[in-house]
Amino acid sequence: MLQVRKNRLWKIFTIFLVSSGGVFLILFSLNSTLDLFYTPSEMLEADIKPEYRIKLGGMVKNGSIKRKGTATNFLVTDFVKEVPVTFNGVTPDLFKEDSGVVMLGYYLDGIFKAEEIFAKHDENYMPPELSFEEEKI
Amino acid sequence: MYPYLLFIGITTLMIGWIWGVLYAPEDFQQGNSYRIIFLHVPASIFAQTIYYFMSICALMHIVWRVKLAAYLIKSAAPIGAMITFIALFSGSIWGIPTWGTWWQWDARITSTLILFIMYLGILTLHGSFSNLEKADRLMSILVIVGVVNLPIIKKSVDWWSTLHQPASISTSGSSIDPSMLMPLLISIVGLGFTLISLGILSSRLYILNREKNKKWVLEHV
Amino acid sequence: MFDIAFNTFDEIINMKGHGIYVWLVYSISILIIVVSFTITRMRIKNICKRININNASG
Repeated sequence: MLQVRKNRLWKIFTIFLVSSGGVFLILFSLNSTLDLFYTPSEMLEADIKPEYRIKLGGMVKNGSIKRKGTATNFLVTDFVKEVPVTFNGVTPDLFKEDSGVVMLGYYLDGIFKAEEIFAKHDENYMPPELSFEEEKI
Repeated sequence: MYPYLLFIGITTLMIGWIWGVLYAPEDFQQGNSYRIIFLHVPASIFAQTIYYFMSICALMHIVWRVKLAAYLIKSAAPIGAMITFIALFSGSIWGIPTWGTWWQWDARITSTLILFIMYLGILTLHGSFSNLEKADRLMSILVIVGVVNLPIIKKSVDWWSTLHQPASISTSGSSIDPSMLMPLLISIVGLGFTLISLGILSSRLYILNREKNKKWVLEHV
Repeated sequence: MFDIAFNTFDEIINMKGHGIYVWLVYSISILIIVVSFTITRMRIKNICKRININNASG
């Protein structure tokens, strides 16, 4: 390769390295802020003030959903800690037990008061017949 | 070459989409709304692939000063912006019935939005110089700098907690049932050919525009 | 796998309530792609015309 081309290659390589280095430094320093939500363990550890609106995410614990009128109560878990949640309103179609959930709301007196609920689904796609068979196995 | 590629692209894409939207079975958790996957996943794949293509061109332009490479960047960027917009738009609409929200600042969605802004930024940067050679070179540098966003998009669902689920297709296999995966793969191939033919058109337009005073263009037209 | 997933035309449009999302996404996206092809072809035609005029006069 011609010397002048080698120089250009090195120059652009340096520009690339320096800029990506900068971006990754920013990302690492922002690491936890870039998370969309707290997990139950993180939230309990972080000692959230009741006036802060936060996002809490995890799995809806199996057998924990209890509906009373328009209110829904359930436990959200990250399989280490669990937090009781109360929500008033219509839950999304994919909100169900043993399924992911992200909530926006306030944590006070040991209960998470959710104002909005988003369902988080997994990466599996299959016809309903197959999923029944899988459960049988 | 162009009409054949366009024909292959449109035909394959139509087979994939009709198969996916009308013949593939319903999903066990999302029902019918998952049928947006046959548009959303191919669009997202090419939103990133076009950027990879542009970065190879940028390297060729910077190191070897290949003029054509810069022309290709300039003609591919609008297509990249278009397909990234489609990926964001289809994802937003898909989010309404499945997640219960059309927009969240989660890492995957935000990094894809940054990709869209990169495409627009590349076009704006090039348009803001009257010295076209200089514009080509600075645009190529910006393309190279933006490459860092691609691994971030890919890894965002693993590095941070996101509303977006992790990848369904990877080198280790797929968590999509074959009856849905087949039309998805066909749609990816179809959209690929369609976008390549759009790219041929777009680069023809740009080269004509750029070289309109050259002798060979007069003879060609 | 090769059986159509819907029985009637109404079912295809409605898709158990999800039809609006599916059809909205596909129609807008197809429109965007078609428009990009049309605009690019029109601009190629225009520039060819302009080059030809310049060619004839110059």
